[in-house]
Amino acid sequence: MKTIIALAVGAVLAAGSTAALAQDQEGAKALATGVCSACHGPQGHSISPVFPNLAGQQSAYITLQLDAFRSHERGDPNARAYMWGMASQLSDTSIKGLADYYAAQKPAVGEIGDKPLMAEGQKIYTQGIAAQGVPACASCHGKDAEGAGAFPRLAGQHADYLVAQLQGFQSGTRANAPIMANVVRSMSPEQIKAAATYAASR
Amino acid sequence: MQRGKLRSLIAGFAVAAAALLLAPGSAQAVPSFARQTGFACEACHTVFPELTPYGRRFKLNGYTVDILPQVSGITPSKEQTLMLNQLPPLSFMFQTSYTSTKKALPDTALPDAFAKNGQVLFPQQASLFYAGRIAPNLGAFVQMTYDGTSGSFGWDNTDIRYARLANENFLWGLSLNNNPTVQDLWNTTSAWQSPFDQRSATAPGPGAGTMIDGGLADAGVAGVSAYGYLYNSVYVELGAYRSAPAAAQIDSTSTNVVKGAAPYWRLAYEHQWGRHSLEVGAYGVEAKLYPGGDVPLSGPTNKYSDWALDSQYQYIGDENLVSVTATYIHEKQTLDATYGAGASSNPSDTLKTLRIGASYYYDRKYGGALGYFSTTGSSDDLLYAQGDPVTGFANSKPDSKGWTAELDWVPYENTKIALQYTMYDKFNGGDTNYDGAGRNAKDNNTLYLLGWINF
Ligand code: HEC
Ligand code: HEC
Repeated sequence: MKTIIALAVGAVLAAGSTAALAQDQEGAKALATGVCSACHGPQGHSISPVFPNLAGQQSAYITLQLDAFRSHERGDPNARAYMWGMASQLSDTSIKGLADYYAAQKPAVGEIGDKPLMAEGQKIYTQGIAAQGVPACASCHGKDAEGAGAFPRLAGQHADYLVAQLQGFQSGTRANAPIMANVVRSMSPEQIKAAATYAASR
Repeated sequence: MQRGKLRSLIAGFAVAAAALLLAPGSAQAVPSFARQTGFACEACHTVFPELTPYGRRFKLNGYTVDILPQVSGITPSKEQTLMLNQLPPLSFMFQTSYTSTKKALPDTALPDAFAKNGQVLFPQQASLFYAGRIAPNLGAFVQMTYDGTSGSFGWDNTDIRYARLANENFLWGLSLNNNPTVQDLWNTTSAWQSPFDQRSATAPGPGAGTMIDGGLADAGVAGVSAYGYLYNSVYVELGAYRSAPAAAQIDSTSTNVVKGAAPYWRLAYEHQWGRHSLEVGAYGVEAKLYPGGDVPLSGPTNKYSDWALDSQYQYIGDENLVSVTATYIHEKQTLDATYGAGASSNPSDTLKTLRIGASYYYDRKYGGALGYFSTTGSSDDLLYAQGDPVTGFANSKPDSKGWTAELDWVPYENTKIALQYTMYDKFNGGDTNYDGAGRNAKDNNTLYLLGWINF
């Protein structure tokens, strides 16, 4: 008898939690299609490079960013103008739901840049720039720029957006990422453009 | 409650409702939207009042995106019955201006004397807005305006809308508004035209204009329209307007009273790529109007058939903003009432307006704009009669043409200072002595300095 009750309670609990989970997922999807898609595009494929693609982005990274917008730690101009307000009312559960929703979408296909730029970018991306102390991007962002966990996917992103972010790390407007500030410290604008173009094209 | 009291309450309500739909002037971006959404103005506006693609989306969605603490109510079945911002989304707008015409205007009382040139209006216009969400899926943009030229406070632009997202590719909604095109998303149409959304309130302006380009709105109308937005690119809207001037009753003392309802339609296609967007569209209205003005509201009407084409291009870069807007309006006037009453020489006339403008901003701070405008139409001795100095038409033609140039400084996102110059090649049908009283079109060239704050 005891085991039956225990089983029944277990079943109810399990049913309850999957229902709650389903509801969270539904809620996240509704938020994504109803609100976020106006800028980040349907399924996280945006049009203007002002708005980053979110499709296929790492779930952990999205969570960290929404958290950083909410706490105002990520404070570059567009983060303030757009995402501080947007993130301010998101609960931890909706952040998790949104992160999982976008991580599960099919990533955008990267655009190929012009040849010399791509060649220079490939070198920086895969080998770094030893003379300037710039590490290989691939060591953290992955061979195909797919990212992992807290390391964001760069593949398929708008190159213009990546350039703007790298400039932000360099100038200190996106000041909550000491690792990246270190990476870009000595990079020239051309090197930034090359690395971003290559990473985006993966 | 006593019957008399109830009756006067109802009458009062009717007057208030009518006043609610009074002829609108012009309105702008409002900081309460920024407070409600947490977005800086630049999310929705290139430079106010022109909308960005996201701003169009926000309007389509019924002004409902919201991050503020809410007072909410639900039924036992979890249906949301109330969702109110804890703080009302109010904003305030203040405009002050200086106007000077190339030649001073004649004195209104003394013959051969001139008015003082260089008119300061403080304020030119001051408005109070309620702009934001009022319930789930329901939002409002409501403007009350104090008009510095008439010295009166009145109801201005109003757009109350309900919107639903059916799925990622289809959004639909309803708009209840008092100015055909106030609900529109692009800045080519009359209510929110860009780049010259503001013009002097005291300088003489061209006397002839089409119904869709402000004529109907000035006559006082209210209407409902239904819209759909498909695949983030196709916009379709259909609506109808009825007369709703600010008067307790509509009778022969009113002018341009709509017979029945006037259908309004709008079709547009927008393509976005990278930081660019391009819209091409068409819109129009069919209005049967009793001219009124001491003539009973029965019998023949004047029929105005307006169709228009428009296009808008925007480039929104980090530093450079470029916008180009254009519209061409064609109006066929079948003047059964006016012609029958002997007040026009032709049974039907046409009137055409073309407007093209381009603006450039650097850093959303320093900008400039240039535009061409032209209104031309049939020659009609009676409709375009000599009339009074300055406002008359001595050549029986409605034609006005010219150029406008503007320099802008936007020191803060909610503050704009504009210096504008308008040059007329033709005014009310002529270039020299257009009013038969010796005034030339160029005498109306207008220098206009505007200071504008929203908070
Ligand atoms: C009004 C436009 C707008 C809306 C709506 C919007 N965002 Fe954003 N979002 C932006 C912009 C612009 C950026 C880039 C900020 C920057 O450059 O720092 C951004 C950045 C982000 C990032 C960081 C991406 C990266 O690669 O670092 C995430 C995650 C994000 N948004 C999630 C969301 C979610 C989830 C929603 C809906 C709840 C949402 N956004 C709604 C404009 C918007
Ligand atoms: C040591 C690990 C590491 C290396 C090496 C590295 N990155 Fe990163 N990168 C990160 C982390 C971690 C973040 C996330 C920062 C944050 O949380 O804000 C990031 C973020 C970024 C972003 C912002 C992405 C977005 O969606 O906003 C860009 C762009 C970027 N890196 C490009 C590069 C390039 C180009 C290189 C090589 C020149 C590089 N990174 C090398 C760790 C690294």
